[in-house]
Amino acid sequence: MSVSESFEPTETTDESRPLRERVADNPGPARFWLLGTAVLIALEFGRYIGWVYQLVGAVKYVIGLVGLIPSWIGDSVGEATVPIVSYFVSDTITLVLLFGIAVLVTRFTSWSAVDQFDIGLSDRIVRFLERAVVTAILATLAVLLAFTPVGGLVNGTIDGVFNTLSSIPTLTSHEVISNQGHRTPGGGWDGTFLGLSPAVAWGLRTLLVYTYALTVIVWSWKGYTIFRDHYRQADWTPRDDTLRRFRSHYWGLFGLIVVLMFIVTALWAPAVSPTTADQNIASPYEYEIEYLNDDGEVATVTPGAANLGSISTNQNTVGPMSYDDYDRWAPLGTTPSGQNLLTHIAYGAQTSLVIGLLAIGLGGLIAVTMSMLTAYYKGIVDILTVLTSDTIISIPAFLLVMMLSVIFGDHPLAEPLNGGLLLGLIFAFVYWPGMWRTIRGPSLQVAEEEWVDAARSYGQTPANTMRKHMAPYIAGYIMIYGSLLLGGIIISTAALSFLGLGIEGSTPEWGRLISDGRQLVSTPSWHVATIPGLMIVLVVTGFNALGDGLRDAIDPEADTGGADDTGTAAAGGGG
Amino acid sequence: MSRWRYFYKRLLLSVPVLFLVMTLIFALLRMGPVDPVAARLGPEASGAEAARMRERLGLNDPLWEQYLDFVTNFLTLDLGKSWVIYGDMEVARIISFAGPPTLWLGLWAIMLPLFIGIPLGFYAGLRPNSGGDYLASVSGILWQAMPNFWLSIILLATLRKTKGGGWFGFDWYTLGPDIRSVTGTPDLTFVTAAGIDWGTLASDIKLILPPALVLGSASMAAELRIGRTAILETINSNYVETAKAKGLTDRAIVWKHVFRNALIPLVPVITNEAFLLIGGSVIVEYIFNINGLGKIFFQAAVQGDLPLAGALLFLFTVVIILLNILQDLLYTIIDPRVGYKR
Repeated sequence: MSVSESFEPTETTDESRPLRERVADNPGPARFWLLGTAVLIALEFGRYIGWVYQLVGAVKYVIGLVGLIPSWIGDSVGEATVPIVSYFVSDTITLVLLFGIAVLVTRFTSWSAVDQFDIGLSDRIVRFLERAVVTAILATLAVLLAFTPVGGLVNGTIDGVFNTLSSIPTLTSHEVISNQGHRTPGGGWDGTFLGLSPAVAWGLRTLLVYTYALTVIVWSWKGYTIFRDHYRQADWTPRDDTLRRFRSHYWGLFGLIVVLMFIVTALWAPAVSPTTADQNIASPYEYEIEYLNDDGEVATVTPGAANLGSISTNQNTVGPMSYDDYDRWAPLGTTPSGQNLLTHIAYGAQTSLVIGLLAIGLGGLIAVTMSMLTAYYKGIVDILTVLTSDTIISIPAFLLVMMLSVIFGDHPLAEPLNGGLLLGLIFAFVYWPGMWRTIRGPSLQVAEEEWVDAARSYGQTPANTMRKHMAPYIAGYIMIYGSLLLGGIIISTAALSFLGLGIEGSTPEWGRLISDGRQLVSTPSWHVATIPGLMIVLVVTGFNALGDGLRDAIDPEADTGGADDTGTAAAGGGG
Repeated sequence: MSRWRYFYKRLLLSVPVLFLVMTLIFALLRMGPVDPVAARLGPEASGAEAARMRERLGLNDPLWEQYLDFVTNFLTLDLGKSWVIYGDMEVARIISFAGPPTLWLGLWAIMLPLFIGIPLGFYAGLRPNSGGDYLASVSGILWQAMPNFWLSIILLATLRKTKGGGWFGFDWYTLGPDIRSVTGTPDLTFVTAAGIDWGTLASDIKLILPPALVLGSASMAAELRIGRTAILETINSNYVETAKAKGLTDRAIVWKHVFRNALIPLVPVITNEAFLLIGGSVIVEYIFNINGLGKIFFQAAVQGDLPLAGALLFLFTVVIILLNILQDLLYTIIDPRVGYKR
């Protein structure tokens, strides 16, 4: 669970004892906390495994993409010259890529051949040989996985294990508290949890989801306080002051609550929604549901056919907090195509969150790296970055995003998430200069500090100086701006899908709902466009409030008058 | 570095930026995955015809030659021709009829926030922590978080609902000059040889008010917030204290000492509006059915009319670069600290 890990300590000074030893001295509080964590994880084990499985899928996809690079370059070279050259080129590039991975592997493992053997060669050569050996091993593995049945076997095993584990019912899964049932001729309900009405069963499950999430958050906070009281060596760190300031910032706390609820809704979308997206939206003709028809008999129908009978248009409507004719509970009503609006909202939150995090993560990474490089080296690197960022900033962001999403609309990158991945990449490309500009001032300041000079004179490599002594001071600023920008990205994504661009197909998106319901605002089916719009306003306000709170907590002396960059970032979507 | 040297340096920097923008657009159009010939003739173009088209568009020339042609054409303001939407029409002609509605929209979208947002912000700043302040601040925050496209459709639905008399007999259609539809392109023919036609002007203004209100909403909120903070900061500064001790009336303090200084931080906000206006004009013009540059850009992008979309993107970028230079110029004149501070 990421929430609990984010409070774990990450830095220990060299002369202090590692956390493991400190815990071993006084295991009581830690054991108590870990026990509680284990219970919390066990309650939702299947769901967490499902998330891990999705992450594994994403990693596989990235590996697959990287694997395509050598043959792609090789083919282009082969086209320009002799075809046989393409094989050499692609093999060379494969080896270069694997060597790069080997460098990373050797850097991040503590074992090194240099320390183990003394064979009279210089350290550089030994290190190079070591990396070459790792490259060879990786190449063998790659060949084994790609060209022999081993690859399929490994893949199948991974899939099988994850599928089995993620299908374990959890506290909040539909199997445990079911809200899908039908009326009985006698007036009761059949097939739902304890025979309750679907509305109550759904309410119970939703309540359980938010209670569980609240418990996880409270427990993580408790973990942090236990760490602070029992295991932290310093009595006070600057972060305590930041937390104290944030705790008394009610506007920021409001933002935090809204943002957390948004994230929980996105992560627990299948549990919050009365039915799953697969059953209701993606493949509605592959399932069957039962309902009590007008003749008083229990009949069977596919969700797809039922959707056609419960559409919300200007004549007939299935409004919020009502049942449709097929005994299905629609807490927020249905869409003009008869699908469940809450299902769209919950899964749409997932779409927005994935795109936003991808864009902020990638863009923030570029921005931080560039800010470190430009602050440390200055000179030509700085001028080039200024030029590049000025260029990208000069082009109206929303129009550039629009044009890029049209131009790359048929590109293979547009396939995952029905364009979500592509959109995330586009946003990262368009918005990193803005992030870089906001953190440029602070990073230039940090680069002038004495401790950076000291680190340099002690012989720290530039990469280490930037990572250890400069980056921590920038992290806060990127969080502030990231929070403000996320609101803008959510608006932009919705605006694009309102225009029919960006996210396509069956992936739920809030903007498309507004587009579907735009003619219905003053009809009985007002809910179709109004509710998603209010959700966007709420979530964007939440992210803006969180950003404000973080700014006041991290940098209380920030120039509140100079809100020109942060202020426009919040609404910078132009949507 | 002196103030003017700083300004010249910024000015000089915008030259490579202009070239980089052109290079980026060129790369997107020529080296992107969209084949110009297929976009023009449809995907099933026959070999001979496609080859002729390829020759005519100059796609067989070496890439650097194409790039040089492209850059010279753009720099001499020869923006090329539309492929799909407007037959073989020159982009310059399209701009000549689509530009005025967009400018009209932009003008009102800047005016409305100026005359609503700044006074509201100043009002809130002069009465901090009062009920009016909270109301103004909260509505500003919500106003800013509202997506333009959602605000547009809600506003449209509300206005349409008033047909035949809504609340208190309010009818947007008959209020002031009569209009047939809430949406549409303003004629902008009010300046005639015989002087100004006030009737047309009034209906043009009425037509543009709702979209301008939506388009200016984000800037209005930003101006409100920044105006409020600026007033708060100025009012607590020492020279206001001095003026008070000197026995100046509140009225004189506010008008002579507070307002003028509070306007300085608002300069970048007002010039920054251009970003929001240009991005937002696409959506607002699309929903309010105004045949302006934004709507045409949207159509061009969606229907694969890439030369038109690229030319419009270039035009917008040039406007923004010019506005940035204007902003630097204003800063250099107004604020003597520029150039020392950076």
